Amino acid sequence: MTITPDFVNDITIEELEADPYPFYERLRKEAPVAFVPALGMHLVSTRELCEQISRDDENWPAVISAAGGRTFGPGALLNTNGEEHRELRDMVEPHLQPTAVDKYIDDLVRPFARERIAAFENDGHADIVAAYCEPVSVRALGDLLGLDDVSTDKLREWFHKLSVSFTNAAVDENGEFANPEGFRPGDEAKAEIIAHVDPKIDKWITEPDHTAISHWLHDGMPEGQTRSRDVIYPNLYVFLLGAMQEPGHAMATTLAGLFSRPEQLERVVDDPELIPRAVAEGMRWVAPIWSAVVKRAARDVTVGGVDLPEGSIVMLTYGSANHDEHAYDAPSRYDMDRPVKPTMTFGGGKHACAGTYFANAVVRIALEELFESIPNLERDTDHEVDFWGWGFRGPKQLFVKWEV
Amino acid sequence: MADKYTVRVTGKNVDIAVGEDQSVLDGALRANQWLPHSCTQGTCGTCKLKVLCGQVDHRDSPEYTLTSEERDSGLVLACRVTPRSDLVVEPLGAVDDRVPHHPLRDHEGTVVVLDDIAAATRRLVVALDEEMHFNAGQYAELLIPGTALARQYSMANPPSEARLLEFHIKLTEGGAATEGWIFRSLAVGDRISLRGPLGQFHLVDKVEGPVILIGGGTGLAPLKSIVQHALAEDLAPELYVYHGGRREVDLYDVEFFRELDARHEHVHYRPVLSEQDWGGATGMVTDAVVADFASCKGMSAYLCGPPAMVTAAVKALKRRRMSPRLIFKEEFTVAPPLPDADAAAS
Repeated sequence: MTITPDFVNDITIEELEADPYPFYERLRKEAPVAFVPALGMHLVSTRELCEQISRDDENWPAVISAAGGRTFGPGALLNTNGEEHRELRDMVEPHLQPTAVDKYIDDLVRPFARERIAAFENDGHADIVAAYCEPVSVRALGDLLGLDDVSTDKLREWFHKLSVSFTNAAVDENGEFANPEGFRPGDEAKAEIIAHVDPKIDKWITEPDHTAISHWLHDGMPEGQTRSRDVIYPNLYVFLLGAMQEPGHAMATTLAGLFSRPEQLERVVDDPELIPRAVAEGMRWVAPIWSAVVKRAARDVTVGGVDLPEGSIVMLTYGSANHDEHAYDAPSRYDMDRPVKPTMTFGGGKHACAGTYFANAVVRIALEELFESIPNLERDTDHEVDFWGWGFRGPKQLFVKWEV
Repeated sequence: MADKYTVRVTGKNVDIAVGEDQSVLDGALRANQWLPHSCTQGTCGTCKLKVLCGQVDHRDSPEYTLTSEERDSGLVLACRVTPRSDLVVEPLGAVDDRVPHHPLRDHEGTVVVLDDIAAATRRLVVALDEEMHFNAGQYAELLIPGTALARQYSMANPPSEARLLEFHIKLTEGGAATEGWIFRSLAVGDRISLRGPLGQFHLVDKVEGPVILIGGGTGLAPLKSIVQHALAEDLAPELYVYHGGRREVDLYDVEFFRELDARHEHVHYRPVLSEQDWGGATGMVTDAVVADFASCKGMSAYLCGPPAMVTAAVKALKRRRMSPRLIFKEEFTVAPPLPDADAAAS
């Protein structure tokens, strides 16, 4: 193993959560594959290497980070490979196929988006994250899953708690979790989820309906059998965290990016057909799943000039790959007119996000409705734009205003 | 017809014959196959198509409207491009087939009115030999005699008067059509050639909310057509007409609109002058709109005038929370600098 430079030795999770970009810029230049003691694993920071490893399932099977595994428990999609992974994808994918999404997405998202906007449109100001982005994001998926009886605020609370647990990644010198208390919020959320969903599963077992969880229980199972709750819950947590939180992040990030380029904002408001392009650039600019995907070396490998023994754990940092200077000019600048180039935002290989189309559709519709109703939206410059997060990243709050 | 190629638009089961000196847009509109377009001068980009199959000549497509990357990826401007083989093309924008479209035709007519109506502004009325059907708000191209040039003017008459076209024409210094012809030699009784209709700035269907119409100078012309059509067909619950000029001598048809205002409770006429104090409203026409409406939510707007006015009006209306989807724009565009090769072909 190579010698770890001081700047890598000294980095803390708190610094990364506040702003990971300077650290990763240096990593890309000086140590694209670097062991980070604070995390107990290697970080891969360039686009080329992230792409290569994400696509190579044979040499690099997927695992879950220690904190992720502690949060979701065994059996989550993120932590499975081969046949077992294929079966889980077959379980979740039918509802997320483009043709399926196109059938239900407008009815799922638009009415609720309009209802939310109607609730604040005459206020003239809002924290758009709490007032709109997160509610639309969680409601869309919650209703799809079959959690229409869970309040929007409760869904938001669940994903926030799961999120802080999932990213509670710091380890001490013995490789033990440095902050075991940090998993408590996730454990609380899971206890509530199970208490709420267990009776619903009882009902879905005998009375299947159109909801996603009901389909997860029944689809592809022999007559008279349903999938075990041990399979359902870890994957439900994956959805409740990633899929509930990230479309909201993508909406708010895109808005923040457009606020930095008023002439581009104006074009997008005037021509909603530009929204998908604006969103794609938003998610390149600040990847919502910034640094959460982990893989394990199946054998001794050399990657980026670094020799790694079998069993080595690497974390792919999509937020950093999307800022790779070799692929993107002025990567820290939001620019929806930059040449279109694939990003790592939704990952790659067999573990690429199953909800790419769904998420893009939710974000697009949410922004269409927002600009339609409030075309004079602008950033409230009395507040700073407050991005936060290293595992998952987006504006914690985004204060906006408009003339009423 | 040996010099014609066949152009097929995806989704439409029709083969369109297009001559090798004719634009694809011209061929399609003449065949009554609607394609999205606005300025027909290569400046707005509304008519972009993707060529899926075949060879083309981009001719004078400007680089600022169609970049070389776009050309490399198969994009063309339908109003400029001409075929060099049979083509299969796909429009980039949605083709709105909900509203009726009228085929593009060549027309001949006789000048029956040519009056000075405001400072350096004339009303031209042409009695056509045959009817021209159009949607209120569309425009035609007048062909300048003895040249290959055509200039675009909106019809100010309602579509119901399909044989008597009214145009409002402002003198352009050095302009081939105005200084060189309409303000110099053109006279009542002269024969005139034109082609139309063109454009997708129009009011066709009944609208639920009030309609705000803002015209700068002769930008009033298509609005006059729209207002008359909307009144005849009862298309809008309220019509607010704003006409902006610099001085009182720039205004025209004041009596016409005042009378509509007096006769119809739901018609409101507001002329606004930017450089003269008078009995009426003063300032920028867009500021007058902002001052008059606390909210424009649920309303729609028709804007026609110089680009700066249109841009300011869009901003003002969005400030008042009008949905950009409901803001329709027609900008005065500068005539292309060089003679257009196909202008005289038809």
